Amino acid sequence: MLQHDVLIVGSGLAGMRAALEVSSDPTLDVAILSKVHPLRSHSGAAQGGIAASLGNSAEDSWDLHMFDTVKGGDYLVDQDAAEVLTREGPENIFELEHMGCAFSRDDEGRVAQRRFGGHTAPRACYAADRTGHAVLTVLFEQLLRRGVKVYSEWYALDLVVKDNVCQGLVAYDILSGQIEAISAKAVMFGTGGYGRAFRVTTNAFASTGDGVVMAYRAGIPLEDMEFVQFHPTGLQGSGILLSEAARGEGAHIVNSDGFRFMENYAPGRMELAPRDIVARAEQSEIEAGRGVTALRDSVFMDLRPIGEERIRYALPSVLHLARDFAGIDPLEAPVPIQPTAHYSMGGIPCDINGQVRIKDLDGAPEITGFFAAGEASCVSVHGANRLGTNSLLEAVVMGRRAGRGILDVVHDLEPTSIDEGDMANAVGEVDHFLSASGTEKVGQIRAELRDTMMDKCGVFRDDAELKECLSEVKDYQERFKNVSIDDHGSTFNTDLLDAIELGHMLEYSEVITVGAIARQESRGGHARRDFPDRDDENWHRHTLAYRPQDGEDGPRLEYCAVNMEPKFREPFPLQERTY
Amino acid sequence: MAQQEFIIQRYNPDTDESYEESFNVDVQPGQTVLDSLNAIKWEQDGTLSFRMSCRHAICGSCAMKVNGQSMLSCQTQVDAAAERGDPIRVGPQGNQHVIKDLVVDVEKFLLQFERAETWLEPYEDQDPPEREYRQKVEEFDHWSHASTCIHCGACYSDCTVAAVDENFLGPAALAKAYRFVMDSRDSKREERLQFLSEEQGGIWDCTRCYMCVQACPKDVLPMDAIMELRTLAIEAGHVNNHGVRHHKGFMSGVRKRGRLDEMMLPVQSVGIGRLLTGNLAAHKEMMDYTPGAIRLLKSRKLLTIAQRHGANAEGREQIERIFEEVEAEKHHHDVDAEAFGAEFETAIGGH
Repeated sequence: MLQHDVLIVGSGLAGMRAALEVSSDPTLDVAILSKVHPLRSHSGAAQGGIAASLGNSAEDSWDLHMFDTVKGGDYLVDQDAAEVLTREGPENIFELEHMGCAFSRDDEGRVAQRRFGGHTAPRACYAADRTGHAVLTVLFEQLLRRGVKVYSEWYALDLVVKDNVCQGLVAYDILSGQIEAISAKAVMFGTGGYGRAFRVTTNAFASTGDGVVMAYRAGIPLEDMEFVQFHPTGLQGSGILLSEAARGEGAHIVNSDGFRFMENYAPGRMELAPRDIVARAEQSEIEAGRGVTALRDSVFMDLRPIGEERIRYALPSVLHLARDFAGIDPLEAPVPIQPTAHYSMGGIPCDINGQVRIKDLDGAPEITGFFAAGEASCVSVHGANRLGTNSLLEAVVMGRRAGRGILDVVHDLEPTSIDEGDMANAVGEVDHFLSASGTEKVGQIRAELRDTMMDKCGVFRDDAELKECLSEVKDYQERFKNVSIDDHGSTFNTDLLDAIELGHMLEYSEVITVGAIARQESRGGHARRDFPDRDDENWHRHTLAYRPQDGEDGPRLEYCAVNMEPKFREPFPLQERTY
Repeated sequence: MAQQEFIIQRYNPDTDESYEESFNVDVQPGQTVLDSLNAIKWEQDGTLSFRMSCRHAICGSCAMKVNGQSMLSCQTQVDAAAERGDPIRVGPQGNQHVIKDLVVDVEKFLLQFERAETWLEPYEDQDPPEREYRQKVEEFDHWSHASTCIHCGACYSDCTVAAVDENFLGPAALAKAYRFVMDSRDSKREERLQFLSEEQGGIWDCTRCYMCVQACPKDVLPMDAIMELRTLAIEAGHVNNHGVRHHKGFMSGVRKRGRLDEMMLPVQSVGIGRLLTGNLAAHKEMMDYTPGAIRLLKSRKLLTIAQRHGANAEGREQIERIFEEVEAEKHHHDVDAEAFGAEFETAIGGH
């Protein structure tokens, strides 16, 4: 059994920021474990910016940022968390800047800031349009400097929790095929989102919700899983992200008539309305027959109003992506775009110190020694819809807080242990796939699942489609039992990992769907055609989905209150959300 | 829909077998090489192994050789990689040990960043400012290209020096070192320049073949960064090393005679002063040149003393003019940069 004081799973912004914080205590043995090398983590794909009320471009304040965040999240945001996020934003940005982050600069040499959807001030700090990459790189560099141990290309299989105390992890060394137990007094998950279950998505192949499902299997409920953000500007077909920074810089979105249709949906903000609103507007235009291209499944984003020089300077990645992946030169022509599954608002419930906590009606029992931060977590700073540039901020701020949360308690935690019995599930799962001889194929089931989720649990939802969706997901789960793989080797067996990941996707897709069926209202990223209005009386609350126990047919849903108690100001009362 | 043949270089670690395998894939317009590899893996042979993640050229996982050149498979369109009807050859990156199929051991490549300590070393004798450090747009623009590295290893894979020298830091680590040398927030500029000048496998070992710039899927321009590091190192006085002596000998030969003086170059590189003072290491270095020199002589690649006359008077005059013009231009550039710096300081109130 391997052993550390602190084990951080996932090496994106949240995980690395937490590790950096924990490593400031030289008496602690901290390690990071990730299925990809840290520099490959999906945080690096974030493009447009990281929000903070620095006020470099225009007057700004954390309250205003907090209000935008709460309203952007359609008031499902926990206000204690949004307060922490926005109040601590600036110092976190300055800290990254002091570490050497390659931020773009304004004329006075300060961190440059630009506009983003749903934010009333220009508060997106950016590194051209590769902000995630710039922050990810600098965090990794500083971890190297500290000499933090990294289990690179190790796949976490199982989280071990006994009597609400986290013991550690069972993990698979991708290079050698060995399964190892790693005990730790504190484990943190920064394992990212779950957008991979949708056909059209910005997410990396790695974003398969592994951490979320491991927590769920360990008996921890998942919070608000039905809230999935569809980003309005994915490249048609592949769904590859074109940064919202394009709109921040002044790009237009038009339908087949060449009309800037946001005029009809959010006249006050036009293209810079929050993502859920723009995505729904696009979907409505497409469904009304005003889509573009031969397939009529997309609308146009026109970057030309920005001007060539500024596009080249501020949006080089957008320029390259459109050219390399759609064969279109945005300097010459508009780019066909469509809503694309982008961000997972739901996840592992935790408090503002990253402590995983079951927010149920009987108080808040915590899972001792288990922490979460970033997209895998649901703290919840984004509520029903995240604003652009708040995700990088959340990962950094909450990663740092989780690191501090761990430092606060870890010296008082007892050493933990993992025995063979605790490893049985993980060992059994691997053995099953390596020896299975079924007729079903991973690639086939996965493709069908992604179609189902996209078409029946997408931008707009209704009861009938969601029920079909659920029944199809359950059917895939049945077929999955009969799956076999080709690769039975022990070295770099990605065929095996694909199968394990599909198991995760099938499990959380059910949770998303069940939560979506139950939530009979429209709020943020969850839009029901059959319940088009927000219903605060019945639904101003978080969903908690528990894994079915013996005899239960599906996830058991409970609900808990939205936090309305910020510490340093009055809460923002519920209001109608218009732009 | 058209069929495309892919010939994939495979390696099975369990049997230690290397072989080529051909697959036919239906391709749609716009399909990438990575899409095609996935089609093979998911529909034909699940044992095919390769790394991938973001599929839009930012995570750096999927660099491999396509028709002999390193590139990101996710960013490479099938149509662009193949002449009509020709198969596309896909293989693992070069200069690294193959683990399985297209998966290579990236440890050696990544180790170079640790050797070059490519992370910011903050000033220890002063606290950082309350807010951000100020950096001119022009300063940021000057080095930001080198910060776009996605560590995919394509440059290292195609590097002609890394192919023969395990010690070479390689294009990516050197470009990243450049980024910190240029970043005003870093406190170790001097130490870095010294290390990069003197370390075996440092800036003077690049042969300027340009393969790294060609292979890089981003805008890093590693070789340009290495060349700028050389200039900066010389300006900072790191001249007492093999690389600089070689460079100076090269230049002085050209300036004096109008041609490269192969006979004198080794002597100048090792250092005439070192040799005259009886430095043992220097004499050993000279001895190391001997076998190579003999081979060059035999193949008539090394000029004898009688042949070393070089350019005529007119030619030499022209060469001298070129040298003078370059020197004048450099002087103007330095003056401009200084004036700009002063203006900026005034503009931001001397922060």
